Amino acid sequence: MTRNRKEALGAFVYILPSLLLITIFAILPIVMNIFYSFHDYNIIQPPSWSGLSNYKRLINDPYIVASIKNTVIFTFITVPLQTLFALVLAALLVRRFHDKFTNFIKGALFIPVIASAVLVGTLWSIILSSHGVVNQAIELIGLEPINWLGRQSTSLLSICIATIWKNVGYFLVIFYAGILEIPTSLYEAASVDGASKWQQFIHITIPGLSSVTYLVVTLGTIWSFQIFDMVYTMTGGGPGLSTVTLVLTIYNTAFKEYSMGYASAIALLMFVFVILLSQLQRLIMRKDG
Amino acid sequence: MRNRIINITIGICLVIFAVAAFIPFVYMALVSLTQKQVLDFQFAINELSLVNYFRVFKNLNILVNFRNSLIVTVSACIFNNFISAMAAYAFAKKKFPLRDKLFYLYIATLMIPGQVTLIPVFVIIKNLGLMNTYPALFLPIINAFGVFLVRQFMVGIPDDLLEAAKIDGCSDPRIFFTIVLPLVKTVLISLTIFTFITSWNDFLWPLVIASKPSMKTLTLAISALKGTYSTNYGLVMAGSTLAFLPPFLLYLSLQRMFIQGIALSGIKG
Repeated sequence: MTRNRKEALGAFVYILPSLLLITIFAILPIVMNIFYSFHDYNIIQPPSWSGLSNYKRLINDPYIVASIKNTVIFTFITVPLQTLFALVLAALLVRRFHDKFTNFIKGALFIPVIASAVLVGTLWSIILSSHGVVNQAIELIGLEPINWLGRQSTSLLSICIATIWKNVGYFLVIFYAGILEIPTSLYEAASVDGASKWQQFIHITIPGLSSVTYLVVTLGTIWSFQIFDMVYTMTGGGPGLSTVTLVLTIYNTAFKEYSMGYASAIALLMFVFVILLSQLQRLIMRKDG
Repeated sequence: MRNRIINITIGICLVIFAVAAFIPFVYMALVSLTQKQVLDFQFAINELSLVNYFRVFKNLNILVNFRNSLIVTVSACIFNNFISAMAAYAFAKKKFPLRDKLFYLYIATLMIPGQVTLIPVFVIIKNLGLMNTYPALFLPIINAFGVFLVRQFMVGIPDDLLEAAKIDGCSDPRIFFTIVLPLVKTVLISLTIFTFITSWNDFLWPLVIASKPSMKTLTLAISALKGTYSTNYGLVMAGSTLAFLPPFLLYLSLQRMFIQGIALSGIKG
């Protein structure tokens, strides 16, 4: 055996375990998912060819329509707010506070990030419950309590609040690291020229963070398309269809109704959204430099 | 002077936000110690008791869930570190045909959300006869992210160092274990933290794959608690507090590494 072939074989041994896992749990499933989406499949009987019928069903399914609508509303509420909060908090934190103070604030804001979405959902559904703290506070100031999770008009909003609360710390840390990458000489020069802190923020910090902001926005949007745990624990999709999401519909279709084929078509639709979003990000990033 | 006032104001605002971030957890812990039906702001010290914790332990088999979460999470961490470091070593330090193409394929798989492959992975696990087993719970958590992360650090190890070891008669596995792995210790710790949090907090996958009560993880138990005892806030919060403790204690002891790890993953995108 030549030296090169021996080395290649040696390398292959190191790669084999991960290649096996990635093939079984990522590559093969994508192929299978496409295959199932053209079939009727209930796990017990073998898949039977159904052509485009799963895809035709997608267009008129009220669950899908509501899922997409809810995702879009959810994205438009959570992504701008969590990005703004994280950006502003990061910019304020960068001011020269005592290190211990900065670490305490960063540390505290990061705690919701390490909690599971199920835990956050459980905690917030108790905080927002009819006798919960939020309603107690509302009653204290003399207003009518609100059935946050039980009303169509506030159910999605409640999930947004819990999600923003959970995500801000994550994006804060990314913004904070991004701001530290901006050369301090820029701020010094602006300071000499008499620019105020606010002007420095608008003209140096925000442009300097453009690639980080794109990342935060895209990541936030992709997460929005994947939301499940929080909805499952807080509302289960209701009341009505006011909080159903694509993943919740995939789960219910596949594991409650055992329509694996149709659920695969929904999963593929979701995949297309996610791919489009990340490609869009790459395009914008490239244009930006 | 004016600057000082501004700084103090900003400081106070930051404290308010920080408190808003963690006060719900304090609330969670307080509620877990009460037996009230109405959740007001009054928590009398002499009314607090551990009775909910006893009930959670006694009636709900939470120790079994706890053990399952621990086994799954520790296995996921060990396997992910090991498998990722091995592949990363080959991608960073070995030459073989199609190396770069294969690496791009790895990165491309990171674009696939787990929810998209949920159904086929379920079918595969079922056909392998692995339903309700620990490997089924932790193996699918492992993805190409670890390989990508660790490779970025291994590329920085000088080739001369490895060549020198080879000339001294060091075997390849020994180079990997005694030279390469210790040099990337920091990134392996970051990867462990990531894997720990992902695996401990995972919900959808165990929901689908662990149908037997004896295999359910802690997140499943919390969700079930909430469904069954929706008005017994104290009991639900006691379970939640228990589920939150391990990642929280890990976070308290490794706070800096957590935050570095996230900043690192941010660069990944």
